[in-house]
Amino acid sequence: MNIIGPDSLLFGVDDVDACTRYLCDYGLEPVGVTAAGGAFEALDGTSVIIRHKDDAGLPPALGTASMLRKTVYGVADGATLAAVGAELRRDREVRTLGDGSLECVDDMGFVIGFQVTVRRTLDLPGERINAPGAPAQRPANRVAVDENAVIRPRTLSHVVYFVPDAAAAEAFYLRLGFRCTDRFLGAGPFLRPAGSLDHHCLFLIQTPPFMKGCEHFTFHLGGPTELMQAGTRFVNRGYQSFWGPGRHKFGSNWFWYFNSPLSCHVEYDADMDLHDESWTAREVPISADASQLFLFAHREKWSPGGP
Amino acid sequence: MVAGRPVKRRVHLCHIDELPDGGSRGFDPLCAGQDTMFVVRSGDRVRAWRDACPHINGAPMPWRKDAYLNAARDRIVCAAHGAQFDIETGLCVLGPCVGQRLEPLEITSMCGALYVELAAA
Repeated sequence: MNIIGPDSLLFGVDDVDACTRYLCDYGLEPVGVTAAGGAFEALDGTSVIIRHKDDAGLPPALGTASMLRKTVYGVADGATLAAVGAELRRDREVRTLGDGSLECVDDMGFVIGFQVTVRRTLDLPGERINAPGAPAQRPANRVAVDENAVIRPRTLSHVVYFVPDAAAAEAFYLRLGFRCTDRFLGAGPFLRPAGSLDHHCLFLIQTPPFMKGCEHFTFHLGGPTELMQAGTRFVNRGYQSFWGPGRHKFGSNWFWYFNSPLSCHVEYDADMDLHDESWTAREVPISADASQLFLFAHREKWSPGGP
Repeated sequence: MVAGRPVKRRVHLCHIDELPDGGSRGFDPLCAGQDTMFVVRSGDRVRAWRDACPHINGAPMPWRKDAYLNAARDRIVCAAHGAQFDIETGLCVLGPCVGQRLEPLEITSMCGALYVELAAA
């Protein structure tokens, strides 16, 4: 089934104003945002959508501290949407909403949706570097550093769930054509849908039931420098760094996680590995060493000064 | 050091009038490079806690500088995973560390000037 990845995440939040400020400062574009909430879009149209937690139109809360209400996956076409619906209707109720999308509940109790993807095709250069021995990616006189660079998240990359039964949760997504790309023993699998080569768009972490919810979500940026620059700006605006910057081993993606008023971490991500059907999943026990190639921490600008 | 009497270090924080009533503020009394404690003011009462969520050892709690409370200003919230804490007792009532408590810190007030009493290193 040609599921591409998450098109949007829907949250029922406690403080709409705080979340609005946060998501705008993170770099997403507010679309139709009012005091009641709205959508915050990346360059390709993928988004985070917030509503007040008491909004009657929201799917039910998970019953934990998590504010995530729904994950909507984009699929390639109507035929895929029909195939997803047929598979899910074998053992659960699937509602067809007014916009033609499908909605149901996964085996862990997360509300999920499926729609023909809203993703717009991007045509943008990635970070360009020069390295001895390799063809120059920036020609002579093309300067890399731009202190005033506009940095916009490009696309919604992945969401991470805390689940009470990672094996059962994984089995459900395998039914929909997801594949395990790598696995942290003691935590859970990284999952890639059939319509994307990205290392993962969903990562599952086994936790006690009272933790069920969203650990983090993230959008891809254009490269490591954008990640460092956007994260530095975020820190300088007073936002609280949680973990990073650094680079993961599984997926090779650069990361920088921040606290947020959405009851989960929000990450900047860049340069994730791609995998296809020929890849064999790795398995390692989860640990600090296994989870990152290196880890840095932000500090205020400093220089050794004069002579 | 007198046996049985732990040595404490008193560090000035601010004047109570600098704290918004019903609001919160973080402090870095030992110059760690980021806030390691926070206070919540309710009228004349100021409570202080270590800025460390019981869920993950040492995890900082606000989503933004000084932002430790929910929208109604009646719960302390950890912006890592949304854990909610009773503002009077520091008891986690919802979230990954439910049943655990924030670590309280002792505050001394003199003529409105607030000091935190920290264990000497």
